[in-house]
Amino acid sequence: MVRQHPASAGGRDESVDESRRAAGSRPDPTKVRFVLGASGIAALSALVTVIAAPPAPVSLPVSPPAAPTTVTQQRPIVYIQLAPGQSPPPGATVIDAKAPKPITIVTRVPAPPQQTVVVRTTQSGKVIP
Amino acid sequence: MITAERPARTSRLAREIAQTPIVPLTVATTAMGGRLVVHLAASGADDRARHDAQLLLARIRRWADRLSRHIETSELSMLNADPRSRVPVGPTLGAALWAGVEAANESEHLVDITLLGARLAAEGLPSTDVAADTPRRWSLCSGPRRTAVVDRAPGIRFDLGGVAKGWLAERGLACLSSWPSAVVDADGDLALRCGPGATWAVAVDDPRTDGSALAILHLSGRATRWPTRWGVATSGTSVHRWRRDETMRHHLIDPRTGAPAITDVVQATVVCGSALRAEALAKAAVIAGTTQGLALLERAGVAGAVILTERGETLALPQTLNLLAE
Repeated sequence: MVRQHPASAGGRDESVDESRRAAGSRPDPTKVRFVLGASGIAALSALVTVIAAPPAPVSLPVSPPAAPTTVTQQRPIVYIQLAPGQSPPPGATVIDAKAPKPITIVTRVPAPPQQTVVVRTTQSGKVIP
Repeated sequence: MITAERPARTSRLAREIAQTPIVPLTVATTAMGGRLVVHLAASGADDRARHDAQLLLARIRRWADRLSRHIETSELSMLNADPRSRVPVGPTLGAALWAGVEAANESEHLVDITLLGARLAAEGLPSTDVAADTPRRWSLCSGPRRTAVVDRAPGIRFDLGGVAKGWLAERGLACLSSWPSAVVDADGDLALRCGPGATWAVAVDDPRTDGSALAILHLSGRATRWPTRWGVATSGTSVHRWRRDETMRHHLIDPRTGAPAITDVVQATVVCGSALRAEALAKAAVIAGTTQGLALLERAGVAGAVILTERGETLALPQTLNLLAE
Protein backbone atom coordinates (compact mmCIF):
# COMPACT_ATOMS: atom_id res chain seq x y z
CA MET A 1 0.00 0.00 0.00
CA VAL A 2 1.37 3.34 -1.02
CA ARG A 3 0.69 6.28 1.21
CA GLN A 4 0.18 9.58 -0.54
CA HIS A 5 1.60 12.62 1.13
CA PRO A 6 -1.03 15.30 1.56
CA ALA A 7 1.12 17.87 -0.16
CA SER A 8 1.43 15.69 -3.14
CA ALA A 9 -2.31 15.22 -3.58
CA GLY A 10 -3.41 16.50 -7.01
CA GLY A 11 -6.32 18.91 -6.26
CA ARG A 12 -4.65 20.25 -3.22
CA ASP A 13 -1.56 21.35 -5.08
CA GLU A 14 -3.62 23.44 -7.46
CA SER A 15 -5.35 25.41 -4.71
CA VAL A 16 -2.06 26.13 -2.92
CA ASP A 17 -0.59 27.46 -6.10
CA GLU A 18 -3.55 29.79 -6.66
CA SER A 19 -3.34 31.25 -3.17
CA ARG A 20 0.34 31.83 -3.57
CA ARG A 21 -0.27 33.63 -6.77
CA ALA A 22 -2.92 35.82 -5.17
CA ALA A 23 -0.67 36.67 -2.22
CA GLY A 24 2.09 37.63 -4.49
CA SER A 25 -0.05 40.13 -6.37
CA ARG A 26 -1.11 42.19 -3.22
CA PRO A 27 1.02 45.14 -1.89
CA ASP A 28 2.76 44.65 1.43
CA PRO A 29 0.43 46.16 4.17
CA THR A 30 3.14 46.54 6.76
CA LYS A 31 4.23 49.99 5.64
CA VAL A 32 0.67 51.31 5.55
CA ARG A 33 -0.05 49.88 8.99
CA PHE A 34 3.07 51.53 10.36
CA VAL A 35 2.10 54.88 8.89
CA LEU A 36 -1.46 54.66 10.24
CA GLY A 37 -0.26 53.66 13.70
CA ALA A 38 2.27 56.44 13.88
CA SER A 39 -0.22 59.08 12.77
CA GLY A 40 -2.78 57.81 15.34
CA ILE A 41 -0.27 58.08 18.14
CA ALA A 42 0.66 61.59 17.03
CA ALA A 43 -2.99 62.70 16.93
CA LEU A 44 -3.67 61.23 20.36
CA SER A 45 -0.65 62.89 21.93
CA ALA A 46 -1.71 66.22 20.42
CA LEU A 47 -5.18 65.85 21.91
CA VAL A 48 -3.81 64.97 25.33
CA THR A 49 -1.54 67.97 25.21
CA VAL A 50 -4.44 70.31 24.40
CA ILE A 51 -6.71 68.90 27.10
CA ALA A 52 -4.27 68.46 29.93
CA ALA A 53 -2.15 71.51 29.44
CA PRO A 54 -2.84 74.37 31.89
CA PRO A 55 -4.63 77.37 30.41
CA ALA A 56 -2.63 80.30 29.45
CA PRO A 57 -2.30 82.81 32.27
CA VAL A 58 -4.89 85.59 32.13
CA SER A 59 -4.32 88.83 33.92
CA LEU A 60 -7.13 89.42 36.47
CA PRO A 61 -7.76 92.49 38.62
CA VAL A 62 -6.12 91.93 41.94
CA SER A 63 -8.42 92.20 44.94
CA PRO A 64 -7.49 92.17 48.61
CA PRO A 65 -7.89 88.81 50.27
CA ALA A 66 -11.36 88.28 51.77
CA ALA A 67 -11.69 88.33 55.50
CA PRO A 68 -12.16 84.85 56.94
CA THR A 69 -15.82 84.07 57.65
CA THR A 70 -17.17 81.80 60.32
CA VAL A 71 -19.51 79.14 59.07
CA THR A 72 -21.72 77.50 61.62
CA GLN A 73 -22.49 74.03 60.62
CA GLN A 74 -25.28 72.30 62.44
CA ARG A 75 -24.64 68.72 63.11
CA PRO A 76 -27.65 66.59 62.37
CA ILE A 77 -28.95 64.54 65.24
CA VAL A 78 -29.33 61.01 64.21
CA TYR A 79 -31.93 58.85 65.86
CA ILE A 80 -31.75 55.14 65.74
CA GLN A 81 -34.78 53.14 66.68
CA LEU A 82 -33.66 50.13 68.60
CA ALA A 83 -35.26 46.86 67.72
CA PRO A 84 -36.30 44.55 70.54
CA GLY A 85 -33.20 42.96 72.03
CA GLN A 86 -30.83 45.60 70.71
CA SER A 87 -28.75 47.68 73.09
CA PRO A 88 -27.69 51.30 72.50
CA PRO A 89 -24.08 52.20 71.79
CA PRO A 90 -22.06 53.41 74.80
CA GLY A 91 -22.78 57.02 75.71
CA ALA A 92 -25.92 57.28 73.56
CA THR A 93 -28.94 59.09 74.90
CA VAL A 94 -31.87 56.73 75.08
CA ILE A 95 -35.39 58.14 74.70
CA ASP A 96 -38.39 56.03 75.54
CA ALA A 97 -40.52 55.79 72.42
CA LYS A 98 -43.67 55.78 74.53
CA ALA A 99 -42.73 58.91 76.46
CA PRO A 100 -45.08 61.80 75.69
CA LYS A 101 -43.75 64.46 73.38
CA PRO A 102 -43.10 67.69 75.29
CA ILE A 103 -45.77 70.27 74.62
CA THR A 104 -46.35 73.85 75.64
CA ILE A 105 -49.49 74.76 77.50
CA VAL A 106 -50.96 77.97 78.79
CA THR A 107 -51.30 77.89 82.55
CA ARG A 108 -52.81 81.35 82.98
CA VAL A 109 -55.78 81.77 80.74
CA PRO A 110 -56.87 85.43 80.74
CA ALA A 111 -60.14 86.06 82.52
CA PRO A 112 -63.05 86.44 80.12
CA PRO A 113 -64.54 89.87 79.59
CA GLN A 114 -67.78 90.66 81.34
CA GLN A 115 -70.29 90.30 78.57
CA THR A 116 -73.50 88.42 77.99
CA VAL A 117 -73.03 85.55 75.57
CA VAL A 118 -76.02 83.63 74.30
CA VAL A 119 -74.19 80.71 72.73
CA ARG A 120 -72.72 78.47 75.39
CA THR A 121 -70.88 75.17 75.43
CA THR A 122 -71.48 73.03 78.51
CA GLN A 123 -71.26 69.48 79.72
CA SER A 124 -74.24 67.42 78.66
CA GLY A 125 -77.19 67.66 81.00
CA LYS A 126 -76.09 71.01 82.40
CA VAL A 127 -79.09 73.22 83.11
CA ILE A 128 -78.51 76.78 82.03
CA PRO A 129 -80.30 79.24 84.28
CA MET B 1 -44.32 67.55 79.70
CA ILE B 2 -42.87 71.05 79.59
CA THR B 3 -45.25 73.54 81.07
CA ALA B 4 -44.77 77.14 80.08
CA GLU B 5 -46.75 80.13 81.14
CA ARG B 6 -47.80 82.46 78.42
CA PRO B 7 -49.88 85.18 79.98
CA ALA B 8 -49.46 87.51 77.01
CA ARG B 9 -51.91 86.87 74.22
CA THR B 10 -50.66 86.22 70.77
CA SER B 11 -52.35 88.34 68.17
CA ARG B 12 -53.41 87.33 64.75
CA LEU B 13 -54.06 89.15 61.54
CA ALA B 14 -57.68 88.21 61.80
CA ARG B 15 -57.87 90.13 65.05
CA GLU B 16 -56.88 93.37 63.41
CA ILE B 17 -60.49 94.27 63.06
CA ALA B 18 -62.47 94.12 66.26
CA GLN B 19 -65.44 92.07 65.21
CA THR B 20 -68.78 92.47 66.83
CA PRO B 21 -70.34 89.12 67.63
CA ILE B 22 -73.63 88.15 66.08
CA VAL B 23 -76.75 88.88 68.10
CA PRO B 24 -78.79 85.86 67.07
CA LEU B 25 -82.38 84.81 66.88
CA THR B 26 -82.61 81.84 69.25
CA VAL B 27 -85.16 79.04 69.31
CA ALA B 28 -84.87 76.32 71.97
CA THR B 29 -86.53 73.13 73.12
CA THR B 30 -85.58 70.08 75.16
CA ALA B 31 -84.36 66.75 73.80
CA MET B 32 -81.91 63.97 74.66
CA GLY B 33 -82.23 64.77 78.35
CA GLY B 34 -80.95 68.28 77.79
CA ARG B 35 -81.44 71.37 75.71
CA LEU B 36 -81.60 71.67 71.95
CA VAL B 37 -81.09 75.16 70.54
CA VAL B 38 -80.80 76.79 67.13
CA HIS B 39 -79.21 80.23 66.77
CA LEU B 40 -79.47 82.08 63.47
CA ALA B 41 -77.95 85.37 62.39
CA ALA B 42 -81.31 87.00 61.89
CA SER B 43 -83.44 89.60 63.56
CA GLY B 44 -86.02 88.58 66.12
CA ALA B 45 -88.77 89.62 63.75
CA ASP B 46 -87.62 87.31 60.97
CA ASP B 47 -90.49 84.84 60.62
CA ARG B 48 -88.68 82.72 58.07
CA ALA B 49 -85.74 82.28 60.44
CA ARG B 50 -88.02 81.29 63.29
CA HIS B 51 -89.89 78.86 61.06
CA ASP B 52 -86.68 77.24 59.78
CA ALA B 53 -85.34 76.89 63.32
CA GLN B 54 -88.55 75.30 64.64
CA LEU B 55 -88.72 72.94 61.69
CA LEU B 56 -85.14 71.83 62.30
CA LEU B 57 -85.68 71.31 66.03
CA ALA B 58 -88.60 69.01 65.27
CA ARG B 59 -86.46 67.02 62.83
CA ILE B 60 -83.59 66.70 65.27
CA ARG B 61 -85.94 65.50 67.98
CA ARG B 62 -87.23 62.77 65.67
CA TRP B 63 -83.67 61.66 64.90
CA ALA B 64 -82.73 61.80 68.57
CA ASP B 65 -85.68 59.62 69.52
CA ARG B 66 -84.34 56.89 67.23
CA LEU B 67 -80.94 57.02 68.91
CA SER B 68 -81.96 57.14 72.56
CA ARG B 69 -81.36 54.22 74.90
CA HIS B 70 -83.95 55.70 77.26
CA ILE B 71 -86.82 55.03 74.84
CA GLU B 72 -87.70 51.34 74.67
CA THR B 73 -89.05 51.58 71.14
CA SER B 74 -86.11 53.51 69.74
CA GLU B 75 -84.08 51.96 66.98
CA LEU B 76 -81.07 51.82 69.29
CA SER B 77 -83.00 50.02 72.03
CA MET B 78 -84.30 47.54 69.46
CA LEU B 79 -80.75 46.87 68.31
CA ASN B 80 -79.56 46.38 71.88
CA ALA B 81 -82.44 43.99 72.60
CA ASP B 82 -81.96 42.01 69.39
CA PRO B 83 -80.47 38.57 70.14
CA ARG B 84 -78.96 38.22 66.68
CA SER B 85 -75.33 39.03 66.13
CA ARG B 86 -75.97 40.41 62.64
CA VAL B 87 -78.66 43.09 62.62
CA PRO B 88 -79.71 45.46 59.82
CA VAL B 89 -80.34 49.03 60.97
CA GLY B 90 -81.94 52.07 59.34
CA PRO B 91 -80.13 55.04 57.80
CA THR B 92 -80.24 57.27 60.90
CA LEU B 93 -78.91 54.69 63.34
CA GLY B 94 -76.46 53.46 60.73
CA ALA B 95 -75.06 56.97 60.24
CA ALA B 96 -74.82 57.49 64.01
CA LEU B 97 -72.95 54.20 64.39
CA TRP B 98 -70.57 55.25 61.62
CA ALA B 99 -70.05 58.43 63.65
CA GLY B 100 -69.17 56.19 66.59
CA VAL B 101 -66.49 54.51 64.50
CA GLU B 102 -65.13 57.92 63.53
CA ALA B 103 -65.18 59.09 67.15
CA ALA B 104 -63.20 56.04 68.22
CA ASN B 105 -60.58 56.68 65.57
CA GLU B 106 -60.33 60.40 66.31
CA SER B 107 -59.95 59.80 70.06
CA GLU B 108 -57.28 57.11 69.74
CA HIS B 109 -59.97 54.66 70.89
CA LEU B 110 -60.68 56.38 74.19
CA VAL B 111 -64.25 56.89 73.03
CA ASP B 112 -66.11 53.61 72.73
CA ILE B 113 -69.84 53.37 72.04
CA THR B 114 -70.09 49.77 73.24
CA LEU B 115 -69.79 50.54 76.94
CA LEU B 116 -73.47 50.60 77.89
CA GLY B 117 -73.05 47.87 80.49
CA ALA B 118 -70.19 49.66 82.21
CA ARG B 119 -72.15 52.90 82.17
CA LEU B 120 -75.18 51.22 83.80
CA ALA B 121 -72.95 49.55 86.34
CA ALA B 122 -71.42 52.93 87.21
CA GLU B 123 -74.91 54.18 87.97
CA GLY B 124 -75.62 51.10 90.06
CA LEU B 125 -78.15 49.78 87.56
CA PRO B 126 -78.32 46.12 86.59
CA SER B 127 -76.22 45.21 83.61
CA THR B 128 -76.02 42.06 81.54
CA ASP B 129 -73.16 43.27 79.45
CA VAL B 130 -70.02 41.40 78.57
CA ALA B 131 -67.16 41.42 81.05
CA ALA B 132 -64.81 44.37 80.88
CA ASP B 133 -61.89 42.28 79.70
CA THR B 134 -63.85 40.66 76.87
CA PRO B 135 -62.92 42.11 73.46
CA ARG B 136 -65.81 44.27 72.32
CA ARG B 137 -65.66 43.29 68.68
CA TRP B 138 -68.17 44.72 66.29
CA SER B 139 -68.24 45.95 62.74
CA LEU B 140 -70.47 47.89 60.46
CA CYS B 141 -71.05 47.58 56.74
CA SER B 142 -73.21 49.51 54.33
CA GLY B 143 -76.53 48.08 53.32
CA PRO B 144 -78.96 49.02 50.55
CA ARG B 145 -80.49 52.49 50.45
CA ARG B 146 -78.20 54.05 53.07
CA THR B 147 -78.99 51.37 55.64
CA ALA B 148 -76.25 49.49 57.48
CA VAL B 149 -75.66 46.07 58.97
CA VAL B 150 -74.19 45.65 62.44
CA ASP B 151 -72.13 42.55 63.12
CA ARG B 152 -71.21 42.17 66.78
CA ALA B 153 -69.98 39.71 69.32
CA PRO B 154 -72.63 38.34 71.68
CA GLY B 155 -73.55 40.74 74.46
CA ILE B 156 -72.37 43.92 72.77
CA ARG B 157 -74.78 46.80 73.39
CA PHE B 158 -74.45 50.37 72.29
CA ASP B 159 -74.69 53.72 74.06
CA LEU B 160 -74.22 56.57 71.63
CA GLY B 161 -74.29 59.28 74.32
CA GLY B 162 -72.28 62.34 73.35
CA VAL B 163 -71.42 60.88 69.96
CA ALA B 164 -75.09 61.13 69.00
CA LYS B 165 -75.23 64.73 70.18
CA GLY B 166 -72.20 65.78 68.19
CA TRP B 167 -73.52 63.97 65.15
CA LEU B 168 -77.01 65.49 65.52
CA ALA B 169 -75.54 68.98 65.78
CA GLU B 170 -73.57 68.43 62.59
CA ARG B 171 -76.48 66.92 60.72
CA GLY B 172 -78.79 69.69 61.90
CA LEU B 173 -76.42 72.41 60.76
CA ALA B 174 -76.24 70.79 57.32
CA CYS B 175 -80.01 71.27 57.06
CA LEU B 176 -79.60 75.03 57.57
CA SER B 177 -77.60 75.52 54.40
CA SER B 178 -79.57 78.62 53.43
CA TRP B 179 -78.26 80.42 56.53
CA PRO B 180 -74.60 81.46 56.19
CA SER B 181 -74.27 82.01 59.95
CA ALA B 182 -75.99 79.47 62.17
CA VAL B 183 -75.41 77.38 65.29
CA VAL B 184 -76.98 74.09 66.36
CA ASP B 185 -76.51 73.41 70.06
CA ALA B 186 -77.18 69.75 70.91
CA ASP B 187 -76.99 69.80 74.71
CA GLY B 188 -73.71 71.68 74.81
CA ASP B 189 -72.13 70.30 71.63
CA LEU B 190 -72.09 73.10 69.08
CA ALA B 191 -71.90 72.95 65.30
CA LEU B 192 -71.29 76.47 64.00
CA ARG B 193 -71.16 78.10 60.62
CA CYS B 194 -69.80 81.63 60.21
CA GLY B 195 -70.37 83.68 57.11
CA PRO B 196 -67.43 85.70 55.77
CA GLY B 197 -66.55 88.35 58.32
CA ALA B 198 -69.14 87.17 60.86
CA THR B 199 -68.20 86.19 64.42
CA TRP B 200 -69.92 83.94 66.93
CA ALA B 201 -69.13 84.52 70.59
CA VAL B 202 -69.17 81.26 72.53
CA ALA B 203 -68.96 81.06 76.31
CA VAL B 204 -67.14 78.08 77.82
CA ASP B 205 -69.21 77.21 80.86
CA ASP B 206 -67.58 77.27 84.27
CA PRO B 207 -69.10 74.28 86.08
CA ARG B 208 -68.25 75.74 89.50
CA THR B 209 -70.51 78.78 89.26
CA ASP B 210 -73.83 79.03 87.47
CA GLY B 211 -73.80 81.55 84.65
CA SER B 212 -70.06 82.21 84.72
CA ALA B 213 -67.57 81.37 82.02
CA LEU B 214 -64.03 80.01 81.96
CA ALA B 215 -63.42 81.75 78.67
CA ILE B 216 -65.24 83.42 75.82
CA LEU B 217 -64.26 82.32 72.35
CA HIS B 218 -64.66 84.40 69.22
CA LEU B 219 -65.09 82.12 66.22
CA SER B 220 -65.01 84.02 62.97
CA GLY B 221 -65.70 83.35 59.33
CA ARG B 222 -62.67 83.65 57.13
CA ALA B 223 -62.69 86.27 54.43
CA THR B 224 -63.42 83.77 51.72
CA ARG B 225 -66.43 83.12 49.58
CA TRP B 226 -67.49 80.11 51.61
CA PRO B 227 -68.67 80.04 55.23
CA THR B 228 -66.34 78.65 57.87
CA ARG B 229 -67.31 75.59 59.92
CA TRP B 230 -66.47 75.23 63.58
CA GLY B 231 -67.22 72.58 66.15
CA VAL B 232 -67.10 73.17 69.91
CA ALA B 233 -67.86 70.55 72.53
CA THR B 234 -67.46 70.19 76.27
CA SER B 235 -67.23 67.03 78.32
CA GLY B 236 -66.68 66.52 82.00
CA THR B 237 -67.31 64.69 85.21
CA SER B 238 -69.09 67.29 87.31
CA VAL B 239 -72.67 66.99 86.05
CA HIS B 240 -73.41 63.28 85.66
CA ARG B 241 -72.02 61.88 88.88
CA TRP B 242 -73.29 59.63 91.65
CA ARG B 243 -72.18 58.57 95.07
CA ARG B 244 -71.83 54.80 95.23
CA ASP B 245 -70.01 52.70 97.81
CA GLU B 246 -68.86 55.87 99.52
CA THR B 247 -67.10 57.02 96.34
CA MET B 248 -68.11 59.46 93.68
CA ARG B 249 -68.57 57.94 90.27
CA HIS B 250 -69.22 59.63 86.95
CA HIS B 251 -70.47 58.65 83.52
CA LEU B 252 -67.26 58.75 81.47
CA ILE B 253 -66.09 55.19 81.13
CA ASP B 254 -62.46 54.43 80.38
CA PRO B 255 -62.52 51.61 77.80
CA ARG B 256 -59.15 50.40 79.06
CA THR B 257 -60.59 49.55 82.46
CA GLY B 258 -64.34 49.34 81.86
CA ALA B 259 -64.88 51.63 84.84
CA PRO B 260 -65.35 55.38 85.33
CA ALA B 261 -62.13 57.10 84.33
CA ILE B 262 -59.73 58.05 87.10
CA THR B 263 -58.83 61.52 85.98
CA ASP B 264 -57.73 64.92 87.24
CA VAL B 265 -59.73 66.73 84.56
CA VAL B 266 -63.08 68.13 85.64
CA GLN B 267 -64.02 69.53 82.27
CA ALA B 268 -62.51 69.79 78.81
CA THR B 269 -63.64 71.97 75.92
CA VAL B 270 -62.30 71.45 72.41
CA VAL B 271 -62.58 73.68 69.35
CA CYS B 272 -62.04 72.17 65.92
CA GLY B 273 -63.78 71.78 62.58
CA SER B 274 -66.74 69.63 63.57
CA ALA B 275 -68.91 69.06 66.61
CA LEU B 276 -68.54 65.29 66.37
CA ARG B 277 -64.77 65.47 66.41
CA ALA B 278 -64.77 68.08 69.18
CA GLU B 279 -67.06 65.89 71.29
CA ALA B 280 -64.87 62.82 70.82
CA LEU B 281 -61.68 64.69 71.64
CA ALA B 282 -63.13 66.50 74.66
CA LYS B 283 -64.30 63.22 76.14
CA ALA B 284 -60.96 61.57 75.37
CA ALA B 285 -59.10 64.44 77.09
CA VAL B 286 -61.16 63.97 80.25
CA ILE B 287 -60.63 60.22 80.26
CA ALA B 288 -56.90 60.51 79.57
CA GLY B 289 -56.22 63.14 82.26
CA THR B 290 -54.40 66.46 82.02
CA THR B 291 -50.98 65.36 80.80
CA GLN B 292 -52.01 62.66 78.37
CA GLY B 293 -55.16 64.51 77.36
CA LEU B 294 -53.37 67.72 76.35
CA ALA B 295 -50.80 65.66 74.46
CA LEU B 296 -53.61 63.89 72.63
CA LEU B 297 -55.24 67.21 71.71
CA GLU B 298 -51.90 68.53 70.50
CA ARG B 299 -51.47 65.48 68.27
CA ALA B 300 -54.99 65.92 66.97
CA GLY B 301 -54.15 69.47 65.88
CA VAL B 302 -57.23 71.08 67.39
CA ALA B 303 -57.89 74.80 66.97
CA GLY B 304 -58.22 75.30 70.70
CA ALA B 305 -58.73 73.57 74.03
CA VAL B 306 -59.58 74.73 77.55
CA ILE B 307 -59.26 72.35 80.47
CA LEU B 308 -60.38 72.79 84.08
CA THR B 309 -58.51 70.54 86.47
CA GLU B 310 -59.58 69.28 89.88
CA ARG B 311 -56.96 71.62 91.37
CA GLY B 312 -58.97 74.53 89.97
CA GLU B 313 -56.46 75.40 87.26
CA THR B 314 -57.65 76.56 83.86
CA LEU B 315 -55.22 75.30 81.22
CA ALA B 316 -55.22 75.82 77.48
CA LEU B 317 -53.28 74.96 74.39
CA PRO B 318 -51.39 78.02 73.10
CA GLN B 319 -53.42 78.32 69.89
CA THR B 320 -56.53 78.89 72.02
CA LEU B 321 -55.29 82.39 72.80
CA ASN B 322 -56.00 83.36 69.20
CA LEU B 323 -59.66 82.59 69.78
CA LEU B 324 -60.20 84.32 73.10
CA ALA B 325 -62.36 87.42 73.25
CA GLU B 326 -60.60 90.52 74.56
